[in-house]
Amino acid sequence: MSVTGSFTTMETGFGLVQALAEADRCLLCHDAPCSKGCPAETDPGTFIRKLRLRNVKGAIRTIKTNNALGGACGVLCPTSRLCEKECSATGIVRPIAIGKIQRFLVEHAWQIGFEPLSRGPSRREKVAVVGSGPAGLSCAAELAKEGFAVTVFEERSEPGGVIRWGVPAYRFDKAFLANEMATFENLGVKFACNKRVDGAEGAKKLLADGFSAVFLGPGLWAAERLTGAEKVKGVRTSVEFLAALRGKGLDALAKEVAGKTVAVIGGGSVAMDCVESALKLGAKDAYLVYRRSFAQMPAETDERVAALELGVHFLVLNQPVKYLADGKGKLKGLKLVRTRLGKPDASGRRKPEPIKGSEWVLECTAVVEAIGNRADATDWSAIVKTDDAGLVVANRKTGKTSSRKVFAGGDIVRGPALVVEAVQDGKLAARAIGAALSQEVKA
Amino acid sequence: MSAKTDLAVTMCGVRFRNPFILSSSPVSNSAEMVEQAYEHGWAGVCYKTLNSGSIPMIHPTPRMAVYDYEGKREVGLQNVEQISDRPLKDNLADFRYLKKKYPDRPIIASIMGFSNDEWAFLAKAAADNGADMLELNFSCPHMTVEGSGHKVGQAFSLCEKFTDTVKKVVRIPVLAKMTPNITDMTEPAIFSKKGGADGISAVNTFRGISSIGLDDLVPHPNVFGVGAMSGYSGAAIKPIALHFIAEMAQCPELGLPLSAMGGVETWVDALEYLLVGATVVQVTTGVIKYGYRIVEDMIEGLADYCEAKGIRKAADLVGKALPNLKTTDHFDLARQGIAQYDLDRCIGCGQCFIVCRDAGGQALEWQQKRRRPKLVEEKCLSCMICSFICPVPSLISFKEMPKDWKRKPTRVMAPEMIDSVKLQGGTT
Repeated sequence: MSVTGSFTTMETGFGLVQALAEADRCLLCHDAPCSKGCPAETDPGTFIRKLRLRNVKGAIRTIKTNNALGGACGVLCPTSRLCEKECSATGIVRPIAIGKIQRFLVEHAWQIGFEPLSRGPSRREKVAVVGSGPAGLSCAAELAKEGFAVTVFEERSEPGGVIRWGVPAYRFDKAFLANEMATFENLGVKFACNKRVDGAEGAKKLLADGFSAVFLGPGLWAAERLTGAEKVKGVRTSVEFLAALRGKGLDALAKEVAGKTVAVIGGGSVAMDCVESALKLGAKDAYLVYRRSFAQMPAETDERVAALELGVHFLVLNQPVKYLADGKGKLKGLKLVRTRLGKPDASGRRKPEPIKGSEWVLECTAVVEAIGNRADATDWSAIVKTDDAGLVVANRKTGKTSSRKVFAGGDIVRGPALVVEAVQDGKLAARAIGAALSQEVKA
Repeated sequence: MSAKTDLAVTMCGVRFRNPFILSSSPVSNSAEMVEQAYEHGWAGVCYKTLNSGSIPMIHPTPRMAVYDYEGKREVGLQNVEQISDRPLKDNLADFRYLKKKYPDRPIIASIMGFSNDEWAFLAKAAADNGADMLELNFSCPHMTVEGSGHKVGQAFSLCEKFTDTVKKVVRIPVLAKMTPNITDMTEPAIFSKKGGADGISAVNTFRGISSIGLDDLVPHPNVFGVGAMSGYSGAAIKPIALHFIAEMAQCPELGLPLSAMGGVETWVDALEYLLVGATVVQVTTGVIKYGYRIVEDMIEGLADYCEAKGIRKAADLVGKALPNLKTTDHFDLARQGIAQYDLDRCIGCGQCFIVCRDAGGQALEWQQKRRRPKLVEEKCLSCMICSFICPVPSLISFKEMPKDWKRKPTRVMAPEMIDSVKLQGGTT
């Protein structure tokens, strides 16, 4: 049996009629607050007005010119706490579904074969982009628009980074990504897949090979672990679990999970993706284990509610103690201790404190640890300044690092962040790279 | 619905249980259809224009097109519908069926002749088979046969002549139906009166072009590559139609009862027609949009309005707004006012600021930080366009200002240039 259908494809978005009806609700604000609410300078106030006035191509142009990954952002953005949070129409009934309108416009562009982005007059400088996730892609598009020869180096077999390997297909599927990627082909961006840039040495080699600048956007592909996790069969990180969902391991994973009890540890968006996926793959019971309360979870409200409605059992105020394995090292349960909330901790949230003697065992055959991504062992410190966590130190407005020819953005600089934030980093870094290279030409 | 309110009206001596009747159109094409309408509560029917068979009647296809506005469907409707394509005998048999089953629901027979004799023939045929009233179709805007449709309505002497012809052969009341594709409707109405008309129906559809195909450049409806200017109706035309009715109601020389139509969908629309002088209200496009069932809401809504206003008979509403409808020279210009803002309810969209800046008196300032408008009262023109665009109901309202209040003159960009202005002949 292979997993298909609603697990591997996204729900359809708005059609033209729905999008127009939604645009008709827009108040066309004088100083559109939605347009100030986007980390990537998306301008819904303008693109919704253009749609409303039947200037559909113009609306698409507004989105794509600012953000080559407009489709991904329309689909994946937590709009309810960004642009839509600012929407004036909330004062009338409810905010305009800005993300859905944006997704429609990008999909509509594919449907009518409209591509607003084109490559600028060719420049001789070559730029290397490390990582093909949102930061790298955004940087590549911006540079290609300026005419630079851009090559994107990707360690995995296909480009996309987190939007290819880090979210379930039902949230962002391959077909959608393929359409989005067409923009990059059109811009003449070259992709070198299965090509790992091995840290500082790799970056130095790129510069030696004739690239005038390097943008680092490798993302965060290692995961925080609980003690003892490595020794037990059946315990995975969210990175491993999600990548398996999106790769050849899907059918095997489905077989392993079907009819069984799965526990996911964590309270963020990634944890929700994992636990929902487990249930959709046929798990008998899927538990979400979180040591704080429901309201303290970092996941978006709609994500939490969706998981609850799907049938996920939320085990809040429960903290993992240790994994229990059988004689063969195979997971058979997760020992938990109940917690109560004490005084606020450094994060400002009330700190969970274990309740003595309340330990209990949740029997399960699979656990996914979704407690945060971190930088992998790749070492960039011999070319750029890094911090204790292995993150690259870079200027948030320019992506400039301690090395003149190396720029960086996305999760490798910010730590776990939003797609839209990575998009902005890539864009700003591209501008800084363009400015720096233009200056070199003049000098 | 109150039992106290009597919705019945009498037009030219014919009683209708309520003022709502189907107009002559596809919605009144057969007894099978009219019967369904009656079951919903329609008081009568102006039956689809009879055809004597002298000219073959073939409908173009497709025969209608739509005018949408933003997300709103069918704000207007365009049709190239012809008069009835059914044999005269079939229609008249349907008259007999309806009169037998629904004796107290009047049938108004719409007729259109292509010659003087034909007018007489159709009038008599309709009257002899149960019609309670006739409506002379002087107004179909897309008939191409010479001397028919709105070409009659535009040639006033023909209105008189054909009315006279009809009046000579029937005793039932005769309505003349006017075209709006003229300047002053009172003129053809008065000519019809001279010919003996007992009442006036108005308005037929406006000549219009609802839309044009942007790929094939063919106006709609696209009849195999050809479009044509033809009858446009629906909510979009109501304000214009309403003025035609009021104008005829205010014309002392005319003084005939009016059967009004044009964009009626709700009891409010119908009531407005009654208030400017209509006795009955006819509907087609509203039915094309929502079905016969809309009459249920028209009946209930009008009855509730009457009860709320203490009006015992709907007939008493006829013409009640006319005393307040005058020419613009009657305005009291000494009294002035401005827009006032209830900013506690403002949601900060700033559309008022945009329209006032671009189309009003530049009387609003935008407070960037608070995201709220600030009114400079002396600059407000009281055009009220800000209140039309404001999404919060009645946040912006009109307020009269004290007698000594003065509006600031519109800004002159370079006052020093006033002296150099050249004006021919005379002083200012």
